[in-house]
Amino acid sequence: MKENKDKSLERQPESNAEPTREGPVYVPTTDIYEKEDAILVRCDMPGVEQDEVDITLDNNELTITGRQAVAEPEGCDLLSTEYDTGTFQRTFKVPQLIDRDKIQAKLHNGVLDIELPKAEQAKPHKIEIVTGG
Amino acid sequence: MYWTDDRAWSPFAELRSLQRDMNRLFDGNDGGTAMSRFPALNVWGNGENVVVTAELPGIDAADLDINVVNNQLTIKGERKKDKPAEDAVCHRCERGAGAFVRTVSLPFAVESEKVSAGYDKGVLTITLPRNEATKPKRIEINAS
Repeated sequence: MKENKDKSLERQPESNAEPTREGPVYVPTTDIYEKEDAILVRCDMPGVEQDEVDITLDNNELTITGRQAVAEPEGCDLLSTEYDTGTFQRTFKVPQLIDRDKIQAKLHNGVLDIELPKAEQAKPHKIEIVTGG
Repeated sequence: MYWTDDRAWSPFAELRSLQRDMNRLFDGNDGGTAMSRFPALNVWGNGENVVVTAELPGIDAADLDINVVNNQLTIKGERKKDKPAEDAVCHRCERGAGAFVRTVSLPFAVESEKVSAGYDKGVLTITLPRNEATKPKRIEINAS
């Protein structure tokens, strides 16, 4: 497996459906953490405005989409390109027991953080052992 | 254990994937050599300015160090590990962390005093104005 430091994770979507917008689709590099009460998803999405991010949870599929703003300095020609801009998209399967109403997301410095709180019944319960006398 | 349809192994999907890998290799956007040239830079310019952009998500602007000497631009920085909470367990860790440095030659010498840099939405933009002394001068011909 190659080291994907840059956007070499570019890929076509698995399904046959074509995207409605032109441009490459990239897989954002992602960390997934689990805490006692929540699952945290953290994606690198440089150059994406907050209102260009779309997060949907359909059944147990979490889909994250972010469109990059095209940063083109005025009156300049492109002299050399090492990266291209496009759309970030990735889908994860998440466990059913997520409290859908409490999902939170924030975007800071090109990093998207999504917090998926676990539903009450999914949180660990400590079971007390009653010592019989 | 059984295979669901969307995960079934398909020789055609494998071939398409191989073709994409080969295309990427020959296009020069190969991940293997990219290691030595991180971050990837886009360079824009005209006769007056050169603008260099790089995608560097999740970096504290204070951890970036940009230096210019004549026409050599050096970008140094570090992305720190950013574990969200002490008790969090990482299930999938793809986002790397660490220090990087990259030096590039610019098409002309720049006014190092007037270089400006901005960091917004994880994208670094450095604007470098051309050194006055190196600008082309039009020479008038004195008609005698």
